[in-house]
Order: sequence, then structure tokens, then C-alpha cells
Amino acid sequence: MDTTQLLKGVLDLAVLAVLREEDGYGYDILRRLREAGLEEVGDASVYGTLRRLFAAGLLTTYVVPSESGPHRKYYSLNAAGRDQLTRSGKLWRSFATTMDSLLDDRGMAA
Amino acid sequence: MTVAEQEITDYVARVRAALADLPPGQRDELTEDLADHLTEVAAESEGTLVERLGEPETYAAELRAAAGAAPGSGRNLDQRVASAMARVRGRLRAMDTRLGPPLGYETASDFLRLLRPAWWVLRGYLAAMLVTVVTTGGEFGLLPRFGGELLAGLIMLIGFVLGSIWIGRRSARLTRWPRSVVQVSSAVLVVFALAGLVDAEDGRDNDYYYDQTSVDSQYSQIRDVFVYDGEGRLVENARLFDQNGNPIRLGYHPDCPSPLDVYGQPLLRPYPYCPEQAPFGPRGPGAPLLPASPTTTPNPSSTAGLTGTPMPTATGQPTAGPSAMPSGIPTPTPTR
Repeated sequence: MDTTQLLKGVLDLAVLAVLREEDGYGYDILRRLREAGLEEVGDASVYGTLRRLFAAGLLTTYVVPSESGPHRKYYSLNAAGRDQLTRSGKLWRSFATTMDSLLDDRGMAA
Repeated sequence: MTVAEQEITDYVARVRAALADLPPGQRDELTEDLADHLTEVAAESEGTLVERLGEPETYAAELRAAAGAAPGSGRNLDQRVASAMARVRGRLRAMDTRLGPPLGYETASDFLRLLRPAWWVLRGYLAAMLVTVVTTGGEFGLLPRFGGELLAGLIMLIGFVLGSIWIGRRSARLTRWPRSVVQVSSAVLVVFALAGLVDAEDGRDNDYYYDQTSVDSQYSQIRDVFVYDGEGRLVENARLFDQNGNPIRLGYHPDCPSPLDVYGQPLLRPYPYCPEQAPFGPRGPGAPLLPASPTTTPNPSSTAGLTGTPMPTATGQPTAGPSAMPSGIPTPTPTR
């Protein structure tokens, strides 16, 4: 099991999380995820995830004219997205805690 | 369009081709900011997009999976053809880029684009030559003729070349139909030019033949001159002069080696060059003579070659003999 496998399950949560602090466009979001330590996240996965979250009604978009280069489509969390982030965040924390204690009980170093 | 822009366009086209089975709206949504994204990737990192992001088809599969779209399994023929075309186009572009630097340009097509005006001129010339072939039939050279008239042909050539340049400079603005017409006629002219080249190459073998007939002269076939006296004896060391005293030179030194000029002047070398090849009679004054009967017409049936050379049978007509044979001289008859 490598990071790529794990990412598939939690990429939605990660994308929602980085959008909570600030709106962003695709490449910007990708860069923030990488800076946060998710080096192996795939470009196409992030774009696809953004599309899916938007289609699910968790994100809104708006276009910002760029002074240099093309106009950019920015994504921002809406109310539904913030709710989803809260729920998914809690779920992840409890899941992570469960996994941590499971590993601790069997003497696995962190 | 730069190389990087071209690469981005190709990449987008291949991703879109791989997503061709999705509803158009969904496909557009998935790929709408792909070009912008690729621009940022290309600006940020070294290497090609494929090195950085993987093959476009892989990218498309990842995009599709992350977006939760239906997996692209059942691709119909159109989509397969479209993706194959996109792949071929990408490969051609790559070759274009690779062949450019050896030519001293960024891409090979940059170099070829510089040659376009030359092609326009050549196209005008080819069109004029096509009209030449149609109007004058088979016989023509390198210059165009209109119905065999050179001047009219040259005027036509100038007009066609100018017209071809005019069309070439406006080809980008042409609408679909005129553009197709230009392309088809250009293709016809290329085929015509290739046929002309093949024809010219075949004509090389005939050059020898043309040389021979073009210098057609009454005496061009003469290689040696044999003079016979009134007795039918071969005269050796004969010399021929015209009314002004100028020596008459006929033929050229035949292949038989003869004692070269005792006179030191090749032009004065006497006839015949090769006495042993005399068509009639004995060799020279020293040889046994033929009892010729100057007043009687020769009997064709009784003649035969003396030195193994068969006599021409048409000796009843002296002019039908070798042209060096003066008419009125009786044909010698054999004695042995």
C-alpha cells in the first residue's frame, strides 16, 4: 500500500481542507497540496476531484481575469462544502485515531 | 505557435480523444482548464509534458476516475480513429521538432514554410507546361509554348507565375471550397511534374539517336573514299580538291590503322584510308587488273565479290552503289 492508494480515499477531504483557508484555481490547489506534503498527488486526480466536488454541489466557481495569461477558474467552498469538510474531517480523525491505537497496541512505532 | 504551445495543443487533443466517449458537455468541463494547467506545468518544470505528467491517455484515465465519470471501455470506431489520428499527429509534430535543428531551424516546418514562395513560382511554371502539353501535343522542351508559339508561351508563363503567387499569398484567407480546388490542382501539377521527370529520364537513352539525325548531311555516313580509274582500277593515294583548290575531306580515319601521313599533315592524307576495304576490284595498280569493258553496261548476274566481299547486285544502276563511285564508271567485273 503506497501513498497513492491512500490518497484515493482522502483526496476529497484534502482538497476541501486546502480550500477552506483560501479560494484557489486548479494549479494553485495542486501546489498547496504538494506544499502540505502530499507530493505524490496526481495532476489529473486533483482536477478530476475538483470537477466531481463541483458537480456534487460542494464548490462554487468564479472566473478571475489574470493580468498575465489566461483567465482562471477559481473554486471556493460553499456552505454544503464546509459541512462536508466538517463531517469528513471528523470521520477521518476518528478513523485515524482508531488506526493509530490499533498499531500502537501491536507495538508498531509511529 | 511555439514548440511548447504545440506540445500543449497535442497533449490536450490526445486527452480529449481518450475521453471521446463521454458526453460532449462533460468532456468539455473536464478539459476546460487543461490547457492553462499544462501551460503552468510547462513554464515551471524542465522536460516534456509526457515526462512530467505521463502519457495523455493515462492522464485522461486518472482524470476520468477522479471525476467519477464512467470508465471508458466501450469506445466506438470513431473514437478509436480519432485517438489514433491524434497520436499520429503528435508523432509527426515530434518528428517535425526533431528534424528542425539539423536544418538550422526550430522545426522542419519552419524551414519548409520559407520555401513556399519558391513552390508558388514552380507551380506557375508547371501549370504553363501543362497547358503546353495540352495545346501542342507531344513535342515540347523546357520552355512553355502556347499552341507552338514561344512568345505566347512566355507571356502565359509570366501570367501563371504571378497568378500562382497571388493565390499563394491569399491561401490562408480562402474559404473551404476554393482552398480544396487549389489543393487538388496543386496535387495534379505535382503528379504532372513527376511524370515529366520520368519522361525526361527515359529520353536520356534516345539522345544518341537525336545527335545522329540532327547533323544530317549528305556525306555524314561516309567513312572512306575509293577512287577508281576508267579501267576499274582502284586508285591509291588519291587526293580530292574542289574548284578552289581546297582539299576535300570526307569521312574520318576508320578503325583500320594505316601508315600515317608521310606528309606530316593529317588533312592531306590521301584516299583511301583503308585500301584493303575497297568495295570493288583489285587492290591497287600493282595487282592483276580486271579486264573492264568501259563501253558495255555491266552484267549484274556475272558480278561477284573478288576479295570475298560480295558485290552489290544492283550494279545496273551505278548511282545505287557507294556514293563515292562516280556515275558513268562501269562496274568492274571479276576475273577469277
